[in-house]
Amino acid sequence: MRGNPYLPALAKIVKTRRETPDTATFRLEIEGSGGLEFTPGQFIEVSAFGYGEAPFSISSSPLERSYVEVTVRRVGNVTRALFNMGEGGVVGVRGPFGRGWPIEEMKGQNLLMIGGGIGIAPLRPLIEYVIAHRNSFGDVILLYGARTPKDIVYKEELERWREHIDVRLTVDVGDETWRGRTGVVTVLLDDVEVDPRETYSVQCGPPIMIYFVTRRLVEMGFTDDRILFSLERLMKCGMGFCGHCMIGGKYVCRDGPVFKYSEVKGLLEPALVR
Amino acid sequence: MERFVVITKEDFTVLLERLLGAYQVIAPVEREGRIFLSYVSDPAEVNMEYKGTTLLPPKRFFFPEVEVLFTYRVTGGRVELYDKLEEVRGAKRALLGVRPCDIKSLEILDKVLIGEYKDPYYAARRDGTLIVGLTCNEPDEYCFCAFTGSGPQASGGFDLLMTDLGDRYLVEIGSDKGERVVNLNLDLFKPASKDEVNEREEMLKRVEAEIRRQELPDLTKVYEAFAKNFDAELWLEYGRRCLACGKCNYVCPTCRCFDVYDEPSLDGSSGKRVRVWDSCHFLSFTRVAGGKVFRSERPSRVKQRIYHKYCYGVDEIGEIECVGCGRCIKVCPAGIDIREAAKRVVEL
Repeated sequence: MRGNPYLPALAKIVKTRRETPDTATFRLEIEGSGGLEFTPGQFIEVSAFGYGEAPFSISSSPLERSYVEVTVRRVGNVTRALFNMGEGGVVGVRGPFGRGWPIEEMKGQNLLMIGGGIGIAPLRPLIEYVIAHRNSFGDVILLYGARTPKDIVYKEELERWREHIDVRLTVDVGDETWRGRTGVVTVLLDDVEVDPRETYSVQCGPPIMIYFVTRRLVEMGFTDDRILFSLERLMKCGMGFCGHCMIGGKYVCRDGPVFKYSEVKGLLEPALVR
Repeated sequence: MERFVVITKEDFTVLLERLLGAYQVIAPVEREGRIFLSYVSDPAEVNMEYKGTTLLPPKRFFFPEVEVLFTYRVTGGRVELYDKLEEVRGAKRALLGVRPCDIKSLEILDKVLIGEYKDPYYAARRDGTLIVGLTCNEPDEYCFCAFTGSGPQASGGFDLLMTDLGDRYLVEIGSDKGERVVNLNLDLFKPASKDEVNEREEMLKRVEAEIRRQELPDLTKVYEAFAKNFDAELWLEYGRRCLACGKCNYVCPTCRCFDVYDEPSLDGSSGKRVRVWDSCHFLSFTRVAGGKVFRSERPSRVKQRIYHKYCYGVDEIGEIECVGCGRCIKVCPAGIDIREAAKRVVEL
């Protein structure tokens, strides 16, 4: 850890890739360092100087050390600034922060991954890891739901991933080109046949998705310690100080953002909300 | 070295002068009839006779309400950062006349801010500051430290702890740092007699008895009662009364939530990153990108602060985070009394 954990490292946006009309993936190269070592599921704080700082899940492969990528939806001041800066822009990076997916624990097991919208971002490094270590995992299914076909991110990756894992898509609302499933991501769960005793479920998406998917997974027989999700809260500092991400006695930034359902089920304040 | 020494009030003025030569001194001062902790330059400004608590707790001298974390300059596609931490380091300060409840609050902040991660701004200020406490001779109507295990006696967290015995102060030495101050000023101190030490014990017992005239549960052990009543009706009532103004957070000696934002210059070529105190009562506190607010209902925000004090603190650092200073009660425009809330929860 650097001397002052509030002081970001400087990084250059070396590549941007438009994913959807309002979402892009930014590749960041950190100046004067050998990159960033992280666990899939961890996040970084990205600064757009003059606009502030915002937390983003790392969306690139952990095997790629020379850069990190974040997938960003243009919804606020910091994200708008990143879009305006584009390639060549200089940003700040702090982190990685938090606890990622428990990869070692999940080895040898089946994985049922469920992503909603841009919530698929923290699953991407996990998927890349799994594909690179394909023999260490059993059956791997990715269920991904987006609002419309235009909102599907990682289109190239999804095609490549299909060669290694079972990828199933749905959109809330289709268009004239869409031949796949429609409906929220839980409709894909209806066709999933896995043994919940030998499977870890791994989700990230909007709160309402996690709320309903978790209910469904419980019905399917998943025990609470096999239901994993990455929770979204406002995280300003990343170190459990600023208080915004607190749920019960836990800080999402430091104790999460990845939690097992069993770890947050008993909290006084409900962690899963609609 | 004796653990207890005494100093006459006359000699204390001399000590103050000497401290002013060696430290930046922060002490209680009276302004418009109210007591503030403030930097002082003259012993005559210092008021060591005040009752109850200072209007604001000492946290702002360690965790200021506005703090520039760093500044930046953007030139031709390059960014340079200037760390402000260096300016915080190295200051030698003495905090005088701070109450046992507030001393306890600093110990709580230490556990939160100097843990697995270390807040370097806070830690640097703590390192450089001598703590000279002052026990209460007369609590005010809001004080309830005896029920939170944080007063009227201080069990640690001070370098020196003074008790007013009329024409002199009994001084307890709490650390090597405190002992050095006494050793450097041996002409002003003399060993305390047994009677003087007993006199302090009697004084603290009397103060404790006075605080205990109100009937409250042991607030260090209300976790279970609070846990059972998270969805109780009374929180709706408190939610209706709360104005969500955040005053309780600002005057609380252990509330330390903050927001971070950038303040650019008009042309955007430079600026600073600033952190400011925030309040869990504000709607914006839990708002994430895209607009979702996790605590949109006011009862949930009232509960956040109170549960943080009596439950989440226990989860977080192993003890409650309320020190019984009563400041939040004193300033609440809606008359919300955290003591009364806790008592009602226990009696549900």
